[in-house]
Amino acid sequence: MVSLKDLIENEEKRVLVLGNEAIARGAIEAGVQVFAAYPGTPSSEISMALITAAPELGFYAEWSTNEKVSMEVAYAASISGVRSMIACKHVGLNVAADVFYSAMYMGCKGGFVTVVGDDPHCFSSQNEQDSRWLGVSANFPILEPSSPQEAKEFTKMAFEISEKFEIPLLLRTTTRISHARADVQFNKFETTYRDGELEKSPRFKCLPGIARANHPKLLEKNETIKEWIPESGLTRIEGPEDNQFGIITSGISYSYVKDALRMLDADIPILKLGIVSPLDEKSIIKFAKSKENIIFIEEVDPYLEDRISALLVQNEITPKIHGKCNGVTKRYHELNAYLVAKGLESLFGSKIADFKDIEAAVTKTEEYIPFRPPLFCAGCQHRAAFYELSKVVKKNNGIFASDIGCYSLDPWVSDTIVCMGASIGMASGFSRVIKDKPIFAIIGDSTFFHTGLPALANAVYNKANFNLLVLDNRMTAMTGFQPNPTEDIPIENVAKGLGVEYIDIFDPYDFEKGKKTIEEALKHKGPTVIIMRKICANEYWRRTRRKGEKIEVYHTNPEVCIACGTCIVRYQCPAISWSIDTNSKGKQYTVIDPSTCTGCSVCSQICPTGAISKVES
Amino acid sequence: MKMEEEYRMVIVGVGGQGILTISDIIAIAAQKKGLRVLGSEVHGMAQKGGSVVTNLKIGKNLHSPTIPVGCSKALIGLEENETLRYMKYLEPSGVAITSKTVLYPIIWKKDNNAAVLAHEKIDENLSKFDARIIRIDAEKLAAEAGLALAQNIVLLGALSQIEDFPLTVEELRNALKTRVPSKYIETNVKAFELGIEAMKKDN
Repeated sequence: MVSLKDLIENEEKRVLVLGNEAIARGAIEAGVQVFAAYPGTPSSEISMALITAAPELGFYAEWSTNEKVSMEVAYAASISGVRSMIACKHVGLNVAADVFYSAMYMGCKGGFVTVVGDDPHCFSSQNEQDSRWLGVSANFPILEPSSPQEAKEFTKMAFEISEKFEIPLLLRTTTRISHARADVQFNKFETTYRDGELEKSPRFKCLPGIARANHPKLLEKNETIKEWIPESGLTRIEGPEDNQFGIITSGISYSYVKDALRMLDADIPILKLGIVSPLDEKSIIKFAKSKENIIFIEEVDPYLEDRISALLVQNEITPKIHGKCNGVTKRYHELNAYLVAKGLESLFGSKIADFKDIEAAVTKTEEYIPFRPPLFCAGCQHRAAFYELSKVVKKNNGIFASDIGCYSLDPWVSDTIVCMGASIGMASGFSRVIKDKPIFAIIGDSTFFHTGLPALANAVYNKANFNLLVLDNRMTAMTGFQPNPTEDIPIENVAKGLGVEYIDIFDPYDFEKGKKTIEEALKHKGPTVIIMRKICANEYWRRTRRKGEKIEVYHTNPEVCIACGTCIVRYQCPAISWSIDTNSKGKQYTVIDPSTCTGCSVCSQICPTGAISKVES
Repeated sequence: MKMEEEYRMVIVGVGGQGILTISDIIAIAAQKKGLRVLGSEVHGMAQKGGSVVTNLKIGKNLHSPTIPVGCSKALIGLEENETLRYMKYLEPSGVAITSKTVLYPIIWKKDNNAAVLAHEKIDENLSKFDARIIRIDAEKLAAEAGLALAQNIVLLGALSQIEDFPLTVEELRNALKTRVPSKYIETNVKAFELGIEAMKKDN
């Protein structure tokens, strides 16, 4: 993490930062005054940086309950004349879509920037959505930086362009920009924060008559921007002028093209688009006119390829098109320099090294390499909760709708994971058609407030019969332990307020109570709400250590342990491993690593021989 | 292949082993020397005890943040099975510096025989790749330095001894001192020195 001092210091300097932190600095240099966000990988570090910087610099920043709300907060600030921004992951942009499809028509005043982090390759996501389509269908101008430095500069420019044309801007990054670390030049900035003012006019009401009039105005703005792009410096042509080939690219793909051409020792003209909607038609046509072959290099979807191919046809320019259409690059997963070079080599008649020897070595060795998936952390209260639940769910042959969060890692019972908040809606749906089995929904505290609330109101109103289990670990842990409303708004009060009749709460480390509580809930007509409340073990461990307090860890008695594997293999706590030596009976036993044990006690409760106990200090 | 304007390395291991710390120290040293730095890190879900690979390039003219298979000059591995997993990233003339540490994933806790077999075969398997391999008992050396967590720093010391590595021992040591908490500087420097010595013995 960049230090707060470096992040906010008003100096010219080069700083090692993540792409996301460069975006945050860009927003600070641009004088962002209101920032709101819901966390989501790969966008979260933008928000963490700005929310940390806000009180120091004197602007407003918040963790909102979801992306839609964050956009409303920021949009209101913008139409009141101050610069505002949101950041979200690709699927978060979908949640905000209801706001921006209409906000685009009405336009903005203070620069209004939406940063979206796409995740080609699904590193931490449920799909590979290419948000450029969403942006273009709403008529957002879309900026696509190709390096952390550009990410910072484009963020600043985004505010200026937004203000100049009174139009919300979309800045699209991908994981490899957001989580790239580079030395980035920071610049001095001059900002004055001021109060907003809302000009009373019908413009900001999306009533049919006004919307009808606003739509052509929005398209006109895009036309004006299109004409302006060539003078903006956002389009760049590199390489020799005279060549039958031309590559059109943008964003991270540009960096792959540069390295691929170096691998191929090829000097080919490149048209790099910094703004991918509206299209810089003048520059594109000028570039393509003299070429026999146009090659599109972009990740996942053929966005530039489809739109620019159409543009060329409309202008009766007919080079041969290469790209996704003929397999130069694939339509899924991320690219890299080698994949791009491999796609280009046959076109240019050159040959790059293949890695047959490496492939052969991989084939010979891969059977020895263990699968190492991410797991619940040592002491994770979700593991405890799921372990208890799995017993009840399996015994009753239940249906289990899970949700998005750390608990998506559950290895035991989850049947479905769809999107934020879907557990409750899905469970409602299952309860309509599956009558002979108990239905469960499980959701975390942050996801509950994100999109679980309307689903629960729906379930109560429509009398859906299922058991909602809320994993309240007091924070949004998956994305980096961000705070959320559970700190101040007890979920049991929310459920009660919504009319839920059966509500219970227990500590997921308390196994006996847990099982009884869930069995009891099954006797009641749903929706029932069971809250499992325990602070995130990671955060507990950190806080305890920071306070200088001792964590009361557990250990195994080698002579009592029968090596049954309950704690290691079934419960899967990563703090527990097999011993290297053996006990007096010549048997291996379990060993608990005192540096990672959080003292949750669960292993001692589930051990069938009572071999595990607290280390007496 | 003509990509000589940059030094490319991958740092691999299991989430939580201090992978980002090594890449940070190298980046700090490179920046101080006036070189550019570009890397790609893993954040989010993959950090929770999963297999982690970080890419780092230093040099003058850097473009893409990732290193394709067969293109890395050096690999630092904090766990020997993760080293094996990512050996494919090395150039045939590259160097792998790996800790002998083994961390058991859940499937090996279920099937110890697979773990024993993999461990017995590790030398043979690593040597199926053309790159040079240096195995260091980082766990032992870190303990000797008085800081069990400093296995990553032992390997950093070893890295400084690689022939064409563009940063000097002094540059790395200075960066190390600025990156670790002040009360652990002494033990970390010791771990760093032990890594250097281990390499000298190996050569």
